[in-house]
Amino acid sequence: MAGGDDGLSKRSIGLAFRIGIEMVAAMIVGVGGGMLLDNWLGTTPWGLIGMFFLGAGAGIVNVYRAVNGIGYAPGYRKEPGPKSGPEQ
Amino acid sequence: MDPLHQFQIQRYLPINIGGLDASFSNSALYMVITVALITGLIVYGMRGRALVPSRMQSLAELFYEFVANLVRDNAGPDARKYFPFVFSLFMFIMVGNLIGLVPGSFTFTSHIIVTFGLALTVFVFVTLLGLIKHGFHFFSLFMPSGVPMALAPILIPIEILSYLSRPVSLSIRLFANMMAGHTMLKVFGGFSVLLGGALGGLGYTVGILPLVINIALVGFEILVAMLQAYVFTILTCLYIRDALELH
Repeated sequence: MAGGDDGLSKRSIGLAFRIGIEMVAAMIVGVGGGMLLDNWLGTTPWGLIGMFFLGAGAGIVNVYRAVNGIGYAPGYRKEPGPKSGPEQ
Repeated sequence: MDPLHQFQIQRYLPINIGGLDASFSNSALYMVITVALITGLIVYGMRGRALVPSRMQSLAELFYEFVANLVRDNAGPDARKYFPFVFSLFMFIMVGNLIGLVPGSFTFTSHIIVTFGLALTVFVFVTLLGLIKHGFHFFSLFMPSGVPMALAPILIPIEILSYLSRPVSLSIRLFANMMAGHTMLKVFGGFSVLLGGALGGLGYTVGILPLVINIALVGFEILVAMLQAYVFTILTCLYIRDALELH
């Protein structure tokens, strides 16, 4: 915690705290949505199974984006602004 | 000795509006204290408007400039007008987290309903902002450009799920960190007391060890309290940027 006051390490600690929960959150939404869908349409257990995998996919996408610093923008576009210029 | 006892809601002033329990609880009391403290700091601190700031004024300016820089760097220059929203959010979460560290107080951010309420506010605000700024073009967010049409049936649900998981991850992150930290403090505190009760003098001597760990943990909790407010704020800024620029 000694170096926690300069900008870079504050940012990296923040990132570490951020990505841990991303995967879980997307799977909660996926599984919860799947169960609701099953309840509504009476398609137990297929909604749950399908949405589970979609949720896992969304979680991986979230972690990938957080680590790559693309932020949380849906889609695969580069980061906006002049910063992304040289990369393209 | 129950480490979860600290999270219990106590109704101080039972209020019932049409079957809805709107009691004034300890959670509400600490929210009021938090808002009063923030308002006090800003209003009292800035009353002098001195060129050479007093201590209180420096503190108020420090927070103001910190959040202003955060908004400028992460949400872009167009997001200036949403600064009051982001600033209120940051101060409310940070002061709430820090007040919870005062022994005997209540941490309202350790309840998921509070953090989910905050996260949902951000989510609805950002979605409405995007819809108002871009109309139906906003939904192009869910279909990335340059992707083969054949992948659309898989990609669009994943993108929508990814978007819907934003408020969930925002709220769980804050609530889980605060709740885990406070539970851990209580558990280690309980070790000392239990050791002393079971072994007498020897127990109190060994009981110094959990106390030492607790001292380190309190320092760590102060870091977490500020960091979680920072993470919540920076993500709000990123979401606002997404809605504004729709790159």
